[in-house]
Amino acid sequence: MPLRRGEATASRSRPDGLPRLLPAGPGEPDGLREHLARHGFIPYRNAPLQLAGDLQAAGLTGRGGAAFPVYRKLEAVAGAGGRAFVVANGAESEPAASKDASLLWLAPHLVLDGLQLAAEAVGAQEACLYVHNTRGEQFTAALRRALSDRWSARIDRVPVQLAEAPARFLAGQETAMVNLLNGGLALPTFTPPRVFERGVNGAPTLVQNVETLAHIALIARYGAGWFRQVGTHAEPGSMLSTIHHADGTVRIVEAAIGTPLRSLLGADLGTDGTDGPAQAVLAGGYHGTWLAASRAAGLTLDNAALTRAGASIGAGVLVALPASHCGLAETARVARYLALESAGQCGPCLNGLPRIADGLATLAGPRPSPQVRANIERWAGLVTGRGACSHPDGSMRFVRSALDVFAAELRQHERGVCSASARRPFLPLPAGAAVSEEDWS
Amino acid sequence: MNGITASTAPWYASRATGIVSLLLFTAVMALGILVNRQGRLPGLPRFAVTNLHRNLSLLAVIFLAIHIVTAVMDSFVSIPLISAVVPFTSGYETFWLGIGAVSLDIMLALIITSLVRGRLNRKVWKAVHWLAYASWPIAFAHSIGSSTDLQHGLLLILALACAAVVAAALAWRIASVAREVPRAQRVSALLNRPAPRPRGSGRPAPPRDRITVP
Repeated sequence: MPLRRGEATASRSRPDGLPRLLPAGPGEPDGLREHLARHGFIPYRNAPLQLAGDLQAAGLTGRGGAAFPVYRKLEAVAGAGGRAFVVANGAESEPAASKDASLLWLAPHLVLDGLQLAAEAVGAQEACLYVHNTRGEQFTAALRRALSDRWSARIDRVPVQLAEAPARFLAGQETAMVNLLNGGLALPTFTPPRVFERGVNGAPTLVQNVETLAHIALIARYGAGWFRQVGTHAEPGSMLSTIHHADGTVRIVEAAIGTPLRSLLGADLGTDGTDGPAQAVLAGGYHGTWLAASRAAGLTLDNAALTRAGASIGAGVLVALPASHCGLAETARVARYLALESAGQCGPCLNGLPRIADGLATLAGPRPSPQVRANIERWAGLVTGRGACSHPDGSMRFVRSALDVFAAELRQHERGVCSASARRPFLPLPAGAAVSEEDWS
Repeated sequence: MNGITASTAPWYASRATGIVSLLLFTAVMALGILVNRQGRLPGLPRFAVTNLHRNLSLLAVIFLAIHIVTAVMDSFVSIPLISAVVPFTSGYETFWLGIGAVSLDIMLALIITSLVRGRLNRKVWKAVHWLAYASWPIAFAHSIGSSTDLQHGLLLILALACAAVVAAALAWRIASVAREVPRAQRVSALLNRPAPRPRGSGRPAPPRDRITVP
């Protein structure tokens, strides 16, 4: 039976504390009825850009990695003139991250509410939900079902297409996404024009991460003051993060921004003066930064603290690397993956990343010559800031932080010794590199 | 041959600058093909090849302008100035000067679109620039047909040499495209290759194994 607009089912109170985005139950996805029972009907404003004021007061920043203020993006797209287009970026190409996939599985309607509200705010008439094509039939079928349920219940005002992206690391980059949606390959292009000026079909395009949209859906209901009840003053609210523990388990956690890493990583970082099983923490993802475990133990999950340590929240990934694994070998594996995922368009990235990956593979082996490390440092300086996208820049941040944090391990390798005992790799990587043009479409 | 007098000077100037224009535009054409395939000239960095192409094209236009103006100035034949841009309106050698005008029109399009390149859509600029492949042969035909200068002796050899240069550049371009590594395989082709030695290490550098990015 179709649900009607005024049918606010059970009483809904503001969710106090956490979690806010993910249903607090045993992990069953929220269907449309459960969503309406929990959060009520979508609060359309019936006026463009009204939402931006609330989002500015709330201080919501993007949860896709760049942490850009959401209200400014909305205003930029609305101000660009012409019919806008909105994309919900659920690509989550970061192999170590699964928070977006979890959110789309467990609470798709929050994301889709946010998408409709964002579309209303910028005056868009079309929208798209962008996900990888590797999540499995069940996943995409559930999303299609959610979209068709909303359409027949007349909840959605703007039709939403489900777009499937190839399983490439760069497919979630905004210009690559726009190129794919325009019928081409998922390759980044130089800007200007930025996508908020000219994007899908030449229209000003708003791109928001799916978690950001879910936060928008909640702020629109419960207000900016509610949103600011958790988090820090400069970085309010909560965020989803993917936590890889040293024993190999992976959790998706919704935490207030500013939560100490100690409480997120738990026993990995040790307790009361004793060292835990983790030797280092990777913060942000494969474009993020390695931190020594002792350093990480004193940090909190907010950019203000992390940038002082040379890191950033990024895609909300925290990986605790156990001491039984070799940090250099893990870094070398990931660097090879990052090289293979290069779009192959810009000379410095195309030529530099494979060299650096090979250099790291040498460092991960026995008795590397000291020249190799010097070469890597030199090449790293040559590839940054010279491409159409920030793939080489992010990759170099990852590599340089590894050389810094695993310097002691490197000295061991130069003597012919490795302190690791594990045989299997730790950091997750997808199988299969691109071999032909079709792999990018 | 008659001496060059004040009245015949424009005629000789026009023929001379015409030949120089042909040489310069041949060089511009070859450099343009080199730029397109990211080729190198010995001792020059790649941005210098691009700049050389641009600067020579502007120099060539100056010689071309002198070539046209002196031809118009010459009192022996009547060539109205407008026939430089409007094809087939000259009384003298209507056809051959006409195709010269066609070539000039295309060159003007190339140069103007390149000067306002920042404001143009990339695809539009590229589409117009492809017309260069039409402009050069038409200019070449004009050179051969509009005067007997290039039809005999050393100047004929010079003209054929220009044609050979452009033909060779074209052939090189086609071969370069055929040799190209498909984009999706470029990185895997580079992984596990030995790194080049850093410069200044005193030993000869190994052959460059860079894969260029068209």
